[in-house]
Amino acid sequence: MRIKGSKKPKWSNWLLNLSLLLVSIIWLTPLIMTLLLSLRPKKDSLGIGNPFFGTGVSLENFQGAFEAVPWLTYYGATLIFVFGVLSVQLITITLAGYAFARLHFFGKDFIFMLLLIQIMIPSAALLVPNFATVQSLGLFDTKWALMLPYLGSAFGTFLLRQTFRQIPRDLEDAGRIDGCNWFKLLQHIYIPSSISAYLAFSLTSISAHWNEFLWPLIITTSDENRVLTVGLSQLVRTSETGAQYGQISAGTLIVIAPLLILFLVFQRQFINSFLRSGLK
Amino acid sequence: MKFYRYFAALTAMVLFALLVAACGDNTTTTTSAVTTAASTTNASSTTAAAKATTASASSTTAAATTTNASSTTAAATTTTVAATGQVTEITFYFPTAVEGPITKTFDGYAAEFMKANPDVKVKTVFAGGYADVLTKIQTEVKGGGTTADVAIMLSTDLYTLADNDLVVPMETFIKDAKDGDTWLKDFYPAFLANSQANGKTWGIPFQRSTPVLYYNKDIFKEAGLDPEKSPATFKEMADIAQKLTKADGSRWGIKIPSDGFPYWLYQGFAISNGQNVVGDAANKVTFNTPAALEGLKNFQSLITDYKAMPKGVIVWGDTPKDFISGNAAMIYHTTGSLTSILSQAKFSVGVGFLPAGSKGYGSPTGGGNLYIMKKSSAEKQKAAFRFIQFLTQPDRLADWTQVTGYVAPRKAAWETDTLKKLVADKPQYGVARDQLQYAQKELATHEGAQVQQILGKAVQSVITGDKDPQKALDDAQKEADKLLADYKD
Repeated sequence: MRIKGSKKPKWSNWLLNLSLLLVSIIWLTPLIMTLLLSLRPKKDSLGIGNPFFGTGVSLENFQGAFEAVPWLTYYGATLIFVFGVLSVQLITITLAGYAFARLHFFGKDFIFMLLLIQIMIPSAALLVPNFATVQSLGLFDTKWALMLPYLGSAFGTFLLRQTFRQIPRDLEDAGRIDGCNWFKLLQHIYIPSSISAYLAFSLTSISAHWNEFLWPLIITTSDENRVLTVGLSQLVRTSETGAQYGQISAGTLIVIAPLLILFLVFQRQFINSFLRSGLK
Repeated sequence: MKFYRYFAALTAMVLFALLVAACGDNTTTTTSAVTTAASTTNASSTTAAAKATTASASSTTAAATTTNASSTTAAATTTTVAATGQVTEITFYFPTAVEGPITKTFDGYAAEFMKANPDVKVKTVFAGGYADVLTKIQTEVKGGGTTADVAIMLSTDLYTLADNDLVVPMETFIKDAKDGDTWLKDFYPAFLANSQANGKTWGIPFQRSTPVLYYNKDIFKEAGLDPEKSPATFKEMADIAQKLTKADGSRWGIKIPSDGFPYWLYQGFAISNGQNVVGDAANKVTFNTPAALEGLKNFQSLITDYKAMPKGVIVWGDTPKDFISGNAAMIYHTTGSLTSILSQAKFSVGVGFLPAGSKGYGSPTGGGNLYIMKKSSAEKQKAAFRFIQFLTQPDRLADWTQVTGYVAPRKAAWETDTLKKLVADKPQYGVARDQLQYAQKELATHEGAQVQQILGKAVQSVITGDKDPQKALDDAQKEADKLLADYKD
């Protein structure tokens, strides 16, 4: 019995692994293609030479990409933008999430509904009003201008409100009996129990703002305030001649490298956090 | 309980205040600088406006409407004006549409310009693709902000820009400039067609292009054709294409892309058959004329009759690659692709005019013009015009052509040693220039982007076999008429 029983799962395990391998190869294809294309000599069009490497491996695409764009400056601005936004967001969504989850105040449901509606408005529709606000604050072409529209997050507030609501009230009551004020409650009960939600939110926030293009393009003009996507677009915008895949691939790799490394390092935590928060 | 609630609210407010303070901290110094600058700029721009009033009637309104806006908001970038009282700072927005070190090249031009003109400071700003530049400028103007003083935008955006009151005509500047008229007359008329309207010059041709026929000389030789002679007429081209097509699909005789801006290459068909799809009027198109119909039928026949072109929409960006890999023996494409095709092709590349239709050669023009923004102060506009004149000096245009592959828009540029040598070494570069005598304006009207899309869709529906040419063009004409009915001229 035992031997038979253990044999069967082995066989199906093997099948499962094989199909997972296939799926992961399909998922990896774009990345591998990007890598191969970026290493292809510039003069090789797609039909020439070895289908994978062309006539040889060359770094001239990267060289071209580095000549065209001041990547290091853009990296700096992007990091400040993305993590600046995230750190403020974490504070605002915690406070707002707690308020909506546990406090009672006049018009709470109405305000919460307004907040949810805001999720549905595409950010492109707010381009002009946001611009006018930033302009009237005198912040045009600063890093503050980049960050300002994103400092609050309706999605994050919603996520944390839901997470906080799932925490049993008994815990809060126990904390209160022990003399916690609201800040201590957040510190000792709510925040530690919601780490996975925070991780999930941080991940979406980082990747969303890492990829932000139109707003940074419009609100900045100086190199020191511009982000990686704007740099990448200098390589991509070749509407008239058609795409130069090699250089686009090289630029793409330069832009996504930090995120990719970040993901590889924290892979397990990320996946766990998504599983736990029920976010897809 | 209540206490906690108030405390939470209070903390939130304090946090917000801190945040604002932090913002302020960063900018208080600049803000104060800006305010002082604003007051002085205010004065200078009013006097500038006053000057403009005496200059001409048309610019009076321009100056009057822009004074208050520019004096308060333009201050951010004009701190230096107030500081020294001499240097005018102008901002230049440019897009990229072709491969090449565009940003570096413009930075170089700006540095040269500033060296020669110490009283003007140019800030170059990359602003995405053509569409992004327009979005950026429109957002900035609508949002009451600072925008570019001079920018490169599509030549066909002329009516959109003029209708939205974003740009100023160049007449005053040309009159004031030394030899302004001779300078303007030196541009090719085909390029000026998309730059002038209502008797005024709204844009100055800069990065312009035109479609040409590329053909693979090696394949021509192999098939026993004269590789030095590009197909002269449509019939000749179609016959050759049919002959060079391999039944198994490994090689097509011709590929004419039909996505992205399908109306553009199609315009060549209409023009060469006797009538362009647009005339001088900006509220009228002629989509369903006999010439347009014949052109579209020719286009379609390459697929249906000659079977020399694959069925369905052909992707613009992939077409040069198909040509380079030998999958297409001939292609229609922009001259802007010449540099990259020459550097990548492992065979000898022939370039010819778009084949003639029933009424001779014909092609549209394309690309971007230099515009001066209406929102800028008169002083900045003048400086911007000097920068435009600098950019369009023959030597600089020659350099720009060499770097990018665009067709230098001035005759004098082709007399420079740089371009003479280029054409001597690679005669392919001269073809687009020679074709300009047969070129006409690109489709540009009010609501330009939408009208282009209407015609483009009509062309695509014929290519994919959804509609017959007559019906497609009739429908497109009706749709465009409806859209343009509100415009009086």
